[in-house]
Amino acid sequence: MKLHRLYAVMRKETREIIRDRVTLSTAFLFPIVMLFMFGYAISLEVEDVSFGVLDQDQTPSSANLIDEFTESAYFKLVRSYDSEVQIHKSMEVNEVKLVLVIPPGFNALTGRKENPEVQLLIDGTYSATALVALNYGMTIVSKFKQEQDNSLIDVQTRIWYNPSLRSIIYVVSGLYAVIIAAFPPLLTTLAIVREKESGSIQQIYASPLTVPEFLLGKLLPYGFISSLQLVSIVALGYYWFGVPFNGSLGYLLIAGGIYVFCNVGIGLLISTITNSQLLAVLLALVVTMMPSILFSGFVFPIYAMAEPVQAYTHLFPGRFFVDVSRGIILKGAGPAEMIRPLSFMLAYTLAVFFAAVVIFKKKVA
Amino acid sequence: MWTRLKSLMLKDVIQFARDKTILGVVFWLYTMEVLICGYAMTFEVKDLPIAVIDHDQTVISRNLIDKFTLSEAFEVSGYPKNQEQAESWMRSGKVKYVMVIPNNFEQDLRRGESPGLQVLLDGTNSNAASLAKDYTAAIVRNFEMEFIDNPVALGSAVRPVVQIWYNRAQTLESFVVLSMIVAAIMMVGTIHSAASITREKEVGTVDQLMVTPTRVWEIFLAKTIPTLAVGILAFFPSLFIIWWFGVPIKGSMLLFLFLMAIFLVSAIAIGVLIASITKTLQQTLLLCFFGLFPILFLSGTMTPTESMPSFLQPITYLSPVKYFMDICMGVFLKGVGMAELWPAALNMAIIGAVLYIIAAWRFKHNLSS
Repeated sequence: MKLHRLYAVMRKETREIIRDRVTLSTAFLFPIVMLFMFGYAISLEVEDVSFGVLDQDQTPSSANLIDEFTESAYFKLVRSYDSEVQIHKSMEVNEVKLVLVIPPGFNALTGRKENPEVQLLIDGTYSATALVALNYGMTIVSKFKQEQDNSLIDVQTRIWYNPSLRSIIYVVSGLYAVIIAAFPPLLTTLAIVREKESGSIQQIYASPLTVPEFLLGKLLPYGFISSLQLVSIVALGYYWFGVPFNGSLGYLLIAGGIYVFCNVGIGLLISTITNSQLLAVLLALVVTMMPSILFSGFVFPIYAMAEPVQAYTHLFPGRFFVDVSRGIILKGAGPAEMIRPLSFMLAYTLAVFFAAVVIFKKKVA
Repeated sequence: MWTRLKSLMLKDVIQFARDKTILGVVFWLYTMEVLICGYAMTFEVKDLPIAVIDHDQTVISRNLIDKFTLSEAFEVSGYPKNQEQAESWMRSGKVKYVMVIPNNFEQDLRRGESPGLQVLLDGTNSNAASLAKDYTAAIVRNFEMEFIDNPVALGSAVRPVVQIWYNRAQTLESFVVLSMIVAAIMMVGTIHSAASITREKEVGTVDQLMVTPTRVWEIFLAKTIPTLAVGILAFFPSLFIIWWFGVPIKGSMLLFLFLMAIFLVSAIAIGVLIASITKTLQQTLLLCFFGLFPILFLSGTMTPTESMPSFLQPITYLSPVKYFMDICMGVFLKGVGMAELWPAALNMAIIGAVLYIIAAWRFKHNLSS
C-alpha cells in the first residue's frame, strides 16, 4: 500500500462529496430529521390515559377513589357511564382505554375490615403501555383506604440512569445506533456502485491502484462524514432532548468511530456484490437499517426475545453499539465494562473490510 | 376509450410482473417483514436479567430468590461477589436489576422488624423499569403471604379485580403483525404507483405515451387502478402470517377488504405525488422509504398516538394510516362493524379523495410540462 496513492483517492472522493451539494446536505440533514421524527414519534410515555367510570355506589367514598385517579398525572377522566352496556361501545370506538367500575355497597365495605373489590377493565390492544397504565391503576386502588403500611418487608427501590422514567431518553439514546446504521452504509454503497454504473470504475481497474488503497480511500472520507453525523445527533440529543451525558466523551468518540467504520465497511461490502444502485439501496435497507431497528435492542429489549432470535441479533453490530452508547452516555461506563462489545465491533469491522477486499479483488482480475 | 384504458392497464400489469425487484419488495413487505417483526418487536418484561446479592444466605432468603427465578418476568443471571461488581454489571448492561438481601433478613423478618430489601433498577427502558418495580412488589407480597400463612393479618385494602380486553394474553404479537401489515399495504400502494410512473419517465416511454391519442387522465387511471388490485391481492399471503401468529379475526373480512381499498387510494395518491418530484427510480425508492417511515411511525404503527407529545397529536389526525390502524385493530381484535367504524372510514375516505385529486392535478402538470 502506497500512502500517496491512498491520499489521491481520498482527495478525489472528498472533492466529489463537496461538489455534490445535494448529497452533502442530505447527509447532514436526514440524520437530524430522523432523530426528531423518531425521537418524538416513538413514545411509550404513559400519561393522561383516557378512562371512564361506572360508579354504582355514588357515595363520598367512591367519589374519593375517582378523585385519586383524576388527580394522578396518569389518568384523564373522559366519560361517566350509567350502565355496563355503554362500556363496551365506548371501548370499541377507542373513547377510553381503562374503565373503573365501583360496585354498589363499596362505601359500606370500606368502613369495615373487609376487602371490597373494584373492577378495572383495560383495552389490552397495545400491551406495552396498557400494562403500565393498569399497574398505575392497581397501585392507586390498593393504596386507597390502606390504614397503615402493613407489609413485612420494606422494599427500597432506587432507579438509576433515568430516575424520572422518561421514555424519550430511552428512545433517543438508542436512536444513535439506528441512524448510523441507516445513512453511512447507504452513502458509501452508492458512491462505489455509481462508479460501476457510470463505468468510471474501469479507470480505477486500469490504474496502478491496489484494492485496499481504493477501498480505504473510499472508506476514510465517508467514515469521517459519518462520524460528524454521529457527533451532530449526540449533541442534539444532549442539548435538545435532554439526554444526560454521564460518561467520557473520549470513550464515546472511540466507540462511535469503530461503529461508524463498521457500518461504512458494510456499505463497502454491499457495493462489491451489487452492480445496480437500486439493488444496493434495497440491500442496504434490509441488511443494515431494518436489523438496527428490530434487533439492536434500541426499543425492543433483546432479553425478552425468543432464544433463536437472541442468537440472531449477534449478526448485526447495532446491538453492541446500543449497549456501548447507553453504557457510556447514560451510565458512565468505562473501558473495562465495554471491552467485550467494543472488541467484537472492532473484529466485525476488520472482517467486513477484509471480506470487501477479497471479493473486490476477484472482480479486478 | 375503454379499449385504450384496458390496454394501458394490461401493459402496466405485465410490466409489474416482469420487474423482479419491485415484485420481490412487495412480497417481502407483506410476508417476511411481518414475520420478522412479529418475532422481534416485543415490549414484554420477560426474563429480565437480574443479579442477586444475598448477604443473609438462609433458607428464607433463598426462598425469596426462588420466587424471582420462578416468575416469568425475571431471570437470575448471576450472583455478584460485592456491590462494585453488581454495579459494573449494571453499567455494561449485563443485568438490568440488582437485588440486595441484607444481613439478618430472616431474623428480622421473624421478629417483625421489617427488613429492608434493596432493589436497584436500570431505568433506561422506562416501561420495563416501571413494570419490573410493580412485579417486584407483587412477588414480595406473595412471599409475605406464604411466610405468615395468614393473609388476613396483613390487613384490609381495596382489591382491584382486573379484566384485560381484546388481548388477554398480553402479548404484543397481534398488534405488531397487524400494524406491519398496515405498513406493508401503505408501502406497496405508494412504492408501486411511484415506481411505475418514474420508470416510464426514466426510460423516456412517457413521451411515447404523450404522442398517442391517450388522454392524461387515462394514463393516470391506468397507473393507479392496477396498483389498487396489486395491493389488495398481495394482502392474501399475509393471511398466512396472521394464522401463524394466531391473530384472531373477530370481524368481517369483507368489510376489511373494502376499507382497505379506500385506504389504498390514499397510499397510491401519495405515491403519485412522490413520483411527480423525483426523476429516477432510485430517488423514488429513497424518498418512499425515508418519507414513509415517519408517516407510519407518527400514525401509531409502532407506538400508539395517545402516548405522543401533545404538539404532535393534531398532526396525526391528518394521516390516513392512523384511521386505518383503528379500523384494523377494530375488525380483527375487537370484532366491530361499520356502526362503530364509520367515523374513521369517513375521515379516511375524505383524506383519500383530497389526496387523489391533488395527485391527478400534479400528474397532469408534470406530464404536460
